[in-house]
Formats: sequence, structure tokens, C-alpha cells
Amino acid sequence: MLTYLVRRATMAVVVMMIVSVICFVLSNVAYDPAVGIAGAQATDEDVALIRKTYGFDRPLVVRFVEYLDNIATGDLGTSYLSKRPVIEMILERLPVTALLAVLSMALALLIALPLGSAAALWPNTIIDRFVQLLAVAGQAIPNFWAGLLLIVVFGVQLRWLPISGSTTYAHFVMPAITLGTFAMPPLMRLVRAGMIEVLASDYIRTARAMGIRPFQLTFKYALKNAVLPVISLSAVQLGFMLGGSIVVESIFALNGVGYLAWQSMTRSDMPVIQAIVLMISMIYIVLTLLADLLNAYMDPRLRGSRK
Amino acid sequence: MKIRQYSRIIGLCAALAAGTALSSTALAGPEDQSITIGMGEDFPTLDGYINTARDGVVMTMQVYDNLIYRNPKTFEYEPLLATSWDRIDDRTIEFKLREGVTFHDGSPLTAEDVVFTFNYWADPANGARVQGSVSWIEKAEAVDDYTVRVISKAPAPAAMEFIAGSLPVYPSDYFQQVGPEEFGKKPIGAGPYKVESFGDGLVKLVAYEGYYEGGAKRTPSIKTVNWRIIPDTATRIAEVIGGGVDWVWNVPSDQVEQLKAVPTLEVALSSTLRIAMVALDAAGRTGDNPLTDVRVRRAVNHAIDRDTIVANLVGGDGEVINAPCHPVQFGCDQSAAVVYDYDPEKAKALLAEAGYADGFTVKLGSYRDRARAEAVQSYLAAVGIKAELEMLQASPSFSGWREGKVGMWYGDWGSQSLADSSASIGAMFDGSSNDGSRNETVLELVKGGASVMDPEERKKKYAQAINIITDQAYWVPMHTIVMGYAYTNTLNFEPTLDELPRFYDASWK
Repeated sequence: MLTYLVRRATMAVVVMMIVSVICFVLSNVAYDPAVGIAGAQATDEDVALIRKTYGFDRPLVVRFVEYLDNIATGDLGTSYLSKRPVIEMILERLPVTALLAVLSMALALLIALPLGSAAALWPNTIIDRFVQLLAVAGQAIPNFWAGLLLIVVFGVQLRWLPISGSTTYAHFVMPAITLGTFAMPPLMRLVRAGMIEVLASDYIRTARAMGIRPFQLTFKYALKNAVLPVISLSAVQLGFMLGGSIVVESIFALNGVGYLAWQSMTRSDMPVIQAIVLMISMIYIVLTLLADLLNAYMDPRLRGSRK
Repeated sequence: MKIRQYSRIIGLCAALAAGTALSSTALAGPEDQSITIGMGEDFPTLDGYINTARDGVVMTMQVYDNLIYRNPKTFEYEPLLATSWDRIDDRTIEFKLREGVTFHDGSPLTAEDVVFTFNYWADPANGARVQGSVSWIEKAEAVDDYTVRVISKAPAPAAMEFIAGSLPVYPSDYFQQVGPEEFGKKPIGAGPYKVESFGDGLVKLVAYEGYYEGGAKRTPSIKTVNWRIIPDTATRIAEVIGGGVDWVWNVPSDQVEQLKAVPTLEVALSSTLRIAMVALDAAGRTGDNPLTDVRVRRAVNHAIDRDTIVANLVGGDGEVINAPCHPVQFGCDQSAAVVYDYDPEKAKALLAEAGYADGFTVKLGSYRDRARAEAVQSYLAAVGIKAELEMLQASPSFSGWREGKVGMWYGDWGSQSLADSSASIGAMFDGSSNDGSRNETVLELVKGGASVMDPEERKKKYAQAINIITDQAYWVPMHTIVMGYAYTNTLNFEPTLDELPRFYDASWK
């Protein structure tokens, strides 16, 4: 178990290194950061001054080494625009994004678990078809589109919910539905597939033969085993959600990390973009790692095979 | 961005909503004399010398006062913090300050504040974002407590424009005490509104009760401005339809018709100082290309039907321009321009004469409006020019032109809201990276226009420059850009040409 842990941790560090290299190179080569900071209608002098002030006139390699050096000491840098420490800006907005992610995930699971199970219990029936349709729709509708539809219906027509902002819990309803719908389909499919497999297994047949009631059988015996892969996938989906939150937070004007990312991209605030990418990949890596460990813990067979 | 295209859906639904939407206003409104506005850009700081993107300039206008004010209708200068001014010589302007003016912290305004502010920002090391608006200043000095002299490095005809438009006055003591970063978070000015809070997507402005009477800005009728930052255009439109906000701008022109169907809204497509052009790579920055031939450039001018584009795709107050400047700008004599009619046959003939009877391929960069850019693309295709359209965000699109990556660029220029040709012709034909022509004679004229003080002499120089630029067809001057506004129809609000909404001038009916 320990060697497994060490190996996974080393890999995580390597992945993060690669991510930071790619991010640094892309954000500096794709486009002149000085022009981005100066804004569209700045003059050459303005751009030149900014280039000098921020040190963009130095070679890329020098800047990259400096960047790595800073990261190593835990310094994520200072925003070019607000001149504030990046870490402070991110931490300030993290609660909004975390709340959104948790709500969306809860919603996705709340839909995926019962519906996925139902589809598995009655495969190839109208119920199954309906669940499949829901999964396809959820996956096919881009989240900016789903968000706008919700806004039109619940914000503009019915006026039940506030459209944008993050001041009350009501403000999180539409964003969470949007992001939850986006994360739900793969989970639901996995529950369905897992349940079908488990329901066909010997121990369920035995349990059934022993006269255990269907409800108990489904939820106590079958679902518990079918849910294993769902845990790993949930971790992955939670990581994806952080990416999805860039769009969703911008649509609903939630003042979270995703919106900060979008805003920094449009203004080439490089230190902020780099820090967010690094943070998202770190969360992603940690979540996957945790999911693997959790699975290994719950299913000893996985541990054994990796020795 | 795809999201923007989908804003059409919102507009469509706006028409639907018109049927069901009964009068409903934002949570707050006329009752407590407050207004909620939906703006697109977030602010890294509220420091007026750093926060110079468009929304930032609007914010600066509400919170700070400058020495003088430029009337957005007459373009005359009017008293603000200064009650009178005199040009002592070519390089010196003397301002008499208003007595009894206080900043939001209650401290009185004196010459010292003006001198400190101007001298501080004139130093490039302090990083004013738009160097052009401060780099002309040599120094400011106090004559007495209420008299200030501003001295320029060289004769600067546009000095008054900068003083009125870009140089807010800061309280020197407070600024030095807290430092620039903290000042940006908790700014103090002498304007009609003070900043009560700033953060979490909201800037709350409250009318400053000690605001002086008698200046050109009126004491606000609306006491609270809730300045909400909503980045997505479609969401902003939904909010104004739903009544969550009272006022939005930057409404895309294709949304205007549908929004007009909403009974609670007033919608306007108003003129701005911004002009659009198709700039052509006459200097050959993209390498040797057909556009270096004047006949080809004239052909491009003849190929594009600007009237139809303006009538169908710009709309509102938009108008065709013939000179490379805005008609209201000083020195922008439209009659000096050589005008090219829409004549595709003539265009083809000119192309054939230049040896491009079969046309050629060129990259066309653009950013603001895909429909307009595609219209230009198809007009060019009709005479055999294959334009590969590259739609980007504003900044990268600008860079594409400046770095000579595109041969044609359908962009626009806002002249920093300055009503003087030195900010349009003087910024686009000055030999900088904006300038795709690099014509020596034009460079000389532009330099003269920015340094000669005699107005008649300046007019003459710009007229000459306009003539050469249009004769050589360095641009296809296209049209003015209109700004779309949508706001609750119980609000008295008047859009201005300089794209600087003044909430202290607005009121509830």
C-alpha cells in the first residue's frame, strides 16, 4: 500500500510539473501579455512601458525559472492588474466555487443514483428509455445553453429565481442545476451498468432466493457494490466541474474562481491564470488519488493486484 | 465567443416575454432613489489612472472630478474643480480653483492636491495605464492655494482634452498616506458619488452629500447606484428584461428590435465617438502583397457597399464616414476626403488594371461584429478578392493588425473619447504600429497638427492629411459605431456621444 501511495504521489507531482510548463509556455507564446494588459486601444508607448515594468522583455527561459522558483517557495505570484497576491484572490473566491461544485455534485448524484438504479431494475422498458434520453440530453446540451434556457424560463418568464449574482442561496439554484446536469449523465450510466452487472451476480440470486425483499435487495445489497466505480468517476467529474464552472460562473455572474479565471483570460492576467490552472490540476490530481485510495480501501482485490 | 451568439435566443424570448411581462421594476428603484445597473467589466482597482478600460472610465467620471468638464453635446469646456483658466503661453495653462470644494473624506481641495496628482502620474515610473494622457505634462505647480499652472513639455493643443477627460484630481494627503494599492480599493475623490463598498461583483456608489453646487456635473438625483458586474451579455439582457437591473449597455444591435417589444424598457442605439474602418496593409507589413498597389486599395474601396451595411447591420444613429476620423472631432473635415462610390464594376476594372483580374487571397481580421465582417467578406468576394476572416477578441485582433499578421483589418477606434483629430488621425497615421501606411507626408502633417497651437493652421493640416489618406485609400473609412442601451422606461437617461453614461444626470420619472 505504501509503495503504491508513493508511486501515485510522484506521478502526481510530475503531472503538475508538466501542466505548469504547458500553461506557462502557452500563455506567454500564444499572445503578447503586455498587449493584453494595456488593453485594445493602447499606444505603442503604453505597451512598451508595460513590457518593461513587468519584465516581459526578458527571455522566456529566465522568466520560467523564476516562476518555478517562486512556486517552489509557495509564492503563486501577484496579479498584474490588481497587484494583489494571487493566492489571496483565489482563496477569497474559493467558497463560492466550492459551494457550487458540492451542490451540483449532490444534485447529480441525487438524480443519477435512483434513476440509474431504476433503469437497471427494469432494463429495456419505457423507464430505461426515459433515463437514457435524460442522459443523452444532459450530455448533449452545452452548459451555457442550458443555463440560458433556465434563465429564460425561471428568471425572465416565471420570475421565480434571481438571474445573476451570488448573494443568497436562491442564486445558486440555477447554476447548480446547470452544472449538475452536465455532470450527471456519465454517473447515471455507470450506476445503471454497475447495477445490471451486480443484479445478475450469484450473491444477489442467492439473496433473492433467501427471500429478501426487493427494496432491501436493491439498495442494501446491490447498490453498495455497484457504487464503487461511481466514487472514482465522481472525483473525476468534480474536477471537470471546476472547468465547467468557468462558463457557468460567468453566465450567472457568480463571483467564484471560475469567473476569476475567465476574467483573467480576457485580460491576460498571467499569474492568476497560471495559478488557477495549477490549482485545478492539483485538485483534480488529489481527487483522483483519493478516489483510488478509497476504492483500494473498499475493495481489497484492487490493493492486491497492485503490489 | 459562442455565448454571444446565443444571446439571440434571449432576445427572441424577450419578444415572448413582452406578452407576459407586466410592469415590474428592480427590487429597489424610484422609491428609495436608487438604481441597479448591469456592467460587463470587473475592476482590478478603482484608481482612475489605472482603471482605464471603458467601464473604468465611466466609474472614474462618477467618483472623481477633473479640473474642467467637456460638455458632451457642445464639446465646450465648462468649469468643474476649476472655475476659470487661461493660456499663459504655448506651454502653460493657469487654472483658478473653486473654493470650498471638499473630497469625500471631508478634506478641502487646494492647489497642492492638483499639483501632487499631476506630478505623480506624469512620472512614467508610477505606471499610469494610458501614458499618452500624462506624458505631455512637464510639471504642475501651485501659484497660491487656489491657483495652479500646468506646464507641458512641448506645445500641446490637446492638453485641455486630457485635463477634462483623463486627469481626475486626488486628495494628496490621503493618497500618500494609504498608498496607491489601498487607494484603488478605497478611493476618495471629489466627484458626485462616493464609493461605499467594492467587492463581490458589486460596487456601491452613494451620492456625496457635500458635493459642491455650480459645477458642470449636477448634484445626483439618484442617491444610490448599485453597480453590478455581470460579465455575460445574454445574462445582462435577461436581467434587464426580468427587472433585476434597471440599466444595461453594450446591447448587440441585433437584439434591439426584440428588446423594443418589452413594454417596460426603453431601448436606444446611440452615436458614439467610435469609428470603424477597414485598414489596408499599404506598407506591406504582411510581406509583398497586392494591397501595396494603390489601384487595388481603391478597388477595395469601390467594392464595399457601406450604405447598405450601415442601414442593415449598424442601425440606430450609425452613419457612413468618408474621412479617417469622427465627424464631430476638431479638424475632421469630411469634405476634404476623396469619396469612393459603391461600384463593383469599377473595382473589378481597377483590379484587372493592377494585374489581379482573377482576384487574390488576403487575411481579414475583425472582432466586434461577425455579421458586419461577413458582409465585407462577401462584398470583397463579389469582385474576386477572397478574404479569409479571422474573428477574435478585441485585444488579440488589434495585435494581429499591429504586428502585421493580417492584410486587412475591420476594426474600430474610440479616440479615447477625445473630440480632436489628433486622437484619431493622429493615433492611426502616426508611424506607430497602428499605422499601416507609413506615409512620410502624412506623418509630418500629423506631427504638425499635434503641436501647432493655431486652430486654423491645425485644421488645414488635418484636411491635407485626410486628402492624402483617402486619395491613397489607406483605409476604407466605414461608419460610426453605435452603442446599444436598454433601461427601465421610468428612468430619465440620455446617452451621450462620448460613451460615458452619467448617472448623476439620470433621474426617476
